[in-house]
Amino acid sequence: MSSELAALMSATFHEAGVTHVVELVHQKDAAAHRRLASVRVEAYDAGGTRRVARELDPGQETLDLDALLGGVGREHGRLLVVFDARYDPHIFPYRPHHYAYLHRPGSAAPPLYYAVNATLGGVPDRIGAVALNNFESYLFLDRPLRERYALAVGNLARFAAAEAEVITYYGGERCREEVRLAPKTHAEIALAAERDGHRLRRVELKTLFRLTSYVVGRRQDDLVLFDHLFTYFK
Amino acid sequence: MLRRLRSLARRLIGVTRVPTYYLPWLTRPGLACVVLVNNIESRFTTGRDAHGLAATITQYDADGSVVGVQHTALDDSLDTSEVPVASTPSGHGFVTVEAPTIHSDLYVALVGDEAYTATHGRQEFVEHYPVLARMVMAGAGRVLGLAGHTLPLFARDQYVYHGPASRSHLLLLNLSNVDNRIRVVATRAGAVAGTRLLRLPPMGSAMLDVAALAPGAGPLTVDRLRLTGNAWFNLYLVGAGPRDLDGALSLMHVK
Repeated sequence: MSSELAALMSATFHEAGVTHVVELVHQKDAAAHRRLASVRVEAYDAGGTRRVARELDPGQETLDLDALLGGVGREHGRLLVVFDARYDPHIFPYRPHHYAYLHRPGSAAPPLYYAVNATLGGVPDRIGAVALNNFESYLFLDRPLRERYALAVGNLARFAAAEAEVITYYGGERCREEVRLAPKTHAEIALAAERDGHRLRRVELKTLFRLTSYVVGRRQDDLVLFDHLFTYFK
Repeated sequence: MLRRLRSLARRLIGVTRVPTYYLPWLTRPGLACVVLVNNIESRFTTGRDAHGLAATITQYDADGSVVGVQHTALDDSLDTSEVPVASTPSGHGFVTVEAPTIHSDLYVALVGDEAYTATHGRQEFVEHYPVLARMVMAGAGRVLGLAGHTLPLFARDQYVYHGPASRSHLLLLNLSNVDNRIRVVATRAGAVAGTRLLRLPPMGSAMLDVAALAPGAGPLTVDRLRLTGNAWFNLYLVGAGPRDLDGALSLMHVK
């Protein structure tokens, strides 16, 4: 193993009672090298209070999040879950990207599979920026929405509050909402399906630095969409 | 080192890699599939103008045949064009999008009364092998296939999940002009749980039922798949609920 380790900080959200299995290692790597140097998981409630902190076995391939966090989630609601991994860049030349499987037991909806946000570590040079240079975007099909959509966002910074702009497009109309997140806090911002008869077509998120962000779609209690946005840097 | 050897071998054989943006498609009764073309990237890239930008979408069926070719154009960087995918008996395949300045931002959505899901495509390439190489590979593939093996020139690893209430099938895409024999080995707790050899025609695709490959145990089984093929390929995960492929489905890219 190299003496120089690289870092990856990834984050997702967990709701109690949902089967949620996170792949801790990159699927691409050869079996003999399928090992991180270390991985630590922490979970925060919406107010930013840390509820769980635990070192994981770096040789562990997948993690059952609900087994670890279900009890805490039932008590404190939706959790921001942070994975702080160290890895040898020679073993993982790209990065040990985490993916996850998501399904609510008893649901008729299909399971979801998604790429966990690489929130810090992927873009460390952006932290000192002074302009809104982190830009994310997601499209919606032009149809009556049967689902309730939202943008789930969390701030992983230790000290800095995050100021973000959520911009939604309805036909030619552009709606802007400001969001402020204290360190380690998270929120779910509802996206109206229609405005003035026009359907939701796009959502954009602009920030100074990368937030944890997912587009979330729900039908009744079922998650039908949980996906990352497309990221650009100005 | 291995990468350089592969690159050298491709040059010697005469393989060309054509840059290609592709997305999977999937249709079922009551489940439509739509490709969303847009070019918001042009807002952040100097010298690119989304105005009047044209794209050609070519739909390949599971057997590799071209189902249809559609053309669309964007008015500006905020414009989105929705291109419906034709339904076929096979119900799956992939589309390629030819647009000189679009390399990201394209989605494919599955829409039905019960489901809505969307995922993005990939800017990669399609491999073109010359005639002689195709013949050699076909012969070698047939011989190795008798023993359930393939020429292991490309490999991918993927976790899959299955249980009574949910599972993740694989939609395999052959991104080459040769028959692609893909060997799938499922391992569970270090032991082989099942193997399968699939033959995908040029530009064809196949749906792999993970539960049939390696029957699960308990509410949710996690298997690790090792896939090896004789030519370039990729895969998407198809999520299925209690009614399996007859119910609502999700579709998701992998790394």
